[in-house]
Amino acid sequence: MVESQARRFFGSRVSRIEDDRLLRGRGRYVADIELPRELAAKFVRSYEAHASVAEIELGDAVEAEGVHAVFTGADFADSEIRCVSSYEGFQVSAQPILALDRVRFAGEALAMVIADDEYLAEDAAEMVFADLAPLPVVLDLDAALASDAEVLHDGWTDNAYVRRAVKTDGFDKAAAGAPHRLTIDLRNARHGAIPMENRACVADYDRGSNRFTLHTTTQVPHLIRAGLALAMDVPESQIRVIAPDVGGGFGVKAQLYTEEVACCLAARELGRPIKWVEDRREHFVASHHSREHRHRVTGYFDDLGRILALEADIRVDMGAYSVFPWTATMDNGMAMGILPGPYKIREYSATGTPVCTNKTPYGAYRGVARPAACFSIERLIDQIARHRGLDRAEVRRRNLLGADDYPWHSPSGLVYDSGSLAESLESVLQLGEYDVLLTEQAEARAQGRLFGIGLVAFTEQTAHTHQEFKQRGVPIVFGYETAKVRLDASGTAVVSASIHDHGQGLETTLAQIAADRLGLDLDKVRVEYGDTNQVAYGAGTFASRSAVLAGGAVTRAADDVAATLKEVAAHELEAAVEDMVIERGRLSVRGSPVVSIDISELCRLTYQRPERLPEGIEPSLESSRTYDAAPGTGAYTNAAHLSTVEIDPMTGKTAVLTYAIVEDCGPMINPMIVEGQIFGGVAQGIGTALFEEFLYDENGQPQSLTFSDYLIPTSTDVPDFAVAHLETPSPFTIGGIKGMGEGGAIAPGAVIASAIEDALSHLGETVVTDLPLTPERVLTHIDQAIAQGEGQ
Amino acid sequence: MRDITVTINGRPMSATVDPRLLLSDFIRQDAGLTGTHVGCEHGYCGSCTVHVDGASTRSCLTLAVQVAGRKVDTVESLAPDDETLHPIQQAFEDCHGLQCGFCTPGLLMSVAELANTNLVCDRAKIREHLAGNICRCTGYHQIIDAVEQALAEIREVQIDG
Ligand code: FES
Ligand code: FES
Repeated sequence: MVESQARRFFGSRVSRIEDDRLLRGRGRYVADIELPRELAAKFVRSYEAHASVAEIELGDAVEAEGVHAVFTGADFADSEIRCVSSYEGFQVSAQPILALDRVRFAGEALAMVIADDEYLAEDAAEMVFADLAPLPVVLDLDAALASDAEVLHDGWTDNAYVRRAVKTDGFDKAAAGAPHRLTIDLRNARHGAIPMENRACVADYDRGSNRFTLHTTTQVPHLIRAGLALAMDVPESQIRVIAPDVGGGFGVKAQLYTEEVACCLAARELGRPIKWVEDRREHFVASHHSREHRHRVTGYFDDLGRILALEADIRVDMGAYSVFPWTATMDNGMAMGILPGPYKIREYSATGTPVCTNKTPYGAYRGVARPAACFSIERLIDQIARHRGLDRAEVRRRNLLGADDYPWHSPSGLVYDSGSLAESLESVLQLGEYDVLLTEQAEARAQGRLFGIGLVAFTEQTAHTHQEFKQRGVPIVFGYETAKVRLDASGTAVVSASIHDHGQGLETTLAQIAADRLGLDLDKVRVEYGDTNQVAYGAGTFASRSAVLAGGAVTRAADDVAATLKEVAAHELEAAVEDMVIERGRLSVRGSPVVSIDISELCRLTYQRPERLPEGIEPSLESSRTYDAAPGTGAYTNAAHLSTVEIDPMTGKTAVLTYAIVEDCGPMINPMIVEGQIFGGVAQGIGTALFEEFLYDENGQPQSLTFSDYLIPTSTDVPDFAVAHLETPSPFTIGGIKGMGEGGAIAPGAVIASAIEDALSHLGETVVTDLPLTPERVLTHIDQAIAQGEGQ
Repeated sequence: MRDITVTINGRPMSATVDPRLLLSDFIRQDAGLTGTHVGCEHGYCGSCTVHVDGASTRSCLTLAVQVAGRKVDTVESLAPDDETLHPIQQAFEDCHGLQCGFCTPGLLMSVAELANTNLVCDRAKIREHLAGNICRCTGYHQIIDAVEQALAEIREVQIDG
């Protein structure tokens, strides 16, 4: 049980502690680190998507100016990345550190050149020639599943990593008895997180102690340590992973990469630090991709538009290899679980197939499968509304879970803890002025303009721990996070955490929590993270979990330390421990605030005057605790988004005019930071909706290699946001906190698709099923709508 | 190799550089000013923005030898001292205009240019001016809030002054 303690900082919009150094250019990112005697690495990458490696001719590279070594596959053949799902029938892939006899995606590393600096390494890399004999390429996930498709890994029976199915007992009966059914096929394009900082790492090996130190751009230092230990067959105690400031992650930095292993191995081989900094072209082909889902969804519903049963077939193009630590089944598992979304759907049947193709391996990206799941269910709801001739908001009202449906046991086995779905829907209609928008739309149409309104409600599964990950078949089940709180002799609290902060503001929010629990000012709390030597274990930052899990662990550890302080203070003040009050830097006796002692004085006493400690109290003000937010299926944040768009009928270009969000993530530690997370997510979602797609030609050659062929939303593509909050506490978590880091990115694809469809609805019917909605696709929808309208 | 002298953040600096050395690498490695970041090296993202003779410039598209004899200012030049931030930096802190901080130095330099050239801007104008600086974290809204605040403050100081 967590004791109540006055909240002074929790809930307030305090400025971020980390901002000062970042604003002054004093952040320390991996590429900024310079170790003595370091050498630079450059990778030679496959120009073919699928080929056997005939020979790698090093040519003059080895002798070139400044070159120390050139490594090829055979040099690192003892290591590999192998991530095996516990799902029955999972077909195992092993990704070599540098390619051996076969390459399976364009961009796979073939050789590694080590030289005095990056310029020289790049010169030498150009001298390496790889003789590759092309093999048939498998690029499309449906084609990959055809019976005559080339099978991409030895010993596999087909290109499905695994095949999964779930079905409720009453599904068949409910589906058969439903008066109406509708089926839609939906596609989300392959795209990715694309943080502004590319990946980078600096590996060092100490021959005296046989220890590796890897500085790397990761969200999950402890998992990278675990992955390196497996890949290199080295005990974890011989590996230290440090992730300093990281310039955005969003999931793409939550996997182990071959380059990290290669740099460690090269550092051991050469006895010098090895630094590698990815360039943007490499990032587009070698950093993991995401989001490529195809769903076939069937809704069975009654005359009132209420869904009686839901059926889904989910296929995800996971690329060439299963990634560590998620395996190749992550997106399928999540999509199959969350597809029924915020709706009261009892009967459900889903099949899922993660597919292997000759594309870059597939990793996490903010929302993991939830954007695609939200897109599918929300598109379905819109089609049901049209089918029944109902308003879109009304169909949602009729299907959403109500306040008394919680805890809701979803048909896919999830337990939704709490929420305010109906309320958030009504609030967003008010905030976004739905009624006014309907009038505006009528006026716009009268002027011949294409103006549409999009509306979506969704639930974001957050801070899920062991139950969820066990169910998803990952080899390492992520549950708890760890936090250590220590007061030093001068009265400053140092909070160390296993999560990582790369923009989420955790350096501040965890300090807010610790400061409240310890009765300290914010400037008396320092939060550190990103070093596996600071805390024993933990998973890191992903899946909207850090505020909940690290927040809970910090609460527990800080309370332990506060309890010791109270013992020492009570002894000093000759009062009862139960009467001690801790606030504003002092401990005082309840009812007589003048009888008090400074925390800094207590800290000094504890460490430096052990003879004055009460009996049985050790001279230590430190506690390390974990927190796993039982029961482990997550805390459910919910939100509703409402947006308007206008389409240029000549070019098909869509402008997002307004965007309103009502979100309920429980009690907010810092609303300003919550809003930043929402806005950032929505902007990424606008990219998903309108721009972002990794394109390939028919030979598997990547066509998106620069920011001029892969468009990211800029300041002129994103509107101002309107936001409002609800705060329904989770009954499952410490402080009632729910996660929210991914929510913003989940809905925009569905919202904008809905708005575009709506903008054309007066012309005729067209069903928006594919993202992104590039001008070209929108023009096709305009043509379809007009043709359908004229045909009537 | 070429000998160059550049005034970086008000201090003259001499170095012998390879003619192909990028200004971004020169700033980060030779001058040790790692506040300037490199996000794309193809002139698109704006992370590497610095001022050359007061004009905002992509340091990844500029060679070090091109700035010989000129003045280069980086993000490290903005704050007057360790206690005080520049009004633009302060506004970014107040309005939560940054998250991971990677795009931030480039953005600050672009905003500093705006503050030097056009202090009266509405949100749409600010958005236009910053369209060459990609931020993947913030969704821009709070950046625009920050720029509005900063411009207002700088205007006020100029009027008072
Ligand atoms: S690094 Fe110079 S514009 Fe991107
Ligand atoms: S703050 Fe991370 S890219 Fe802008």
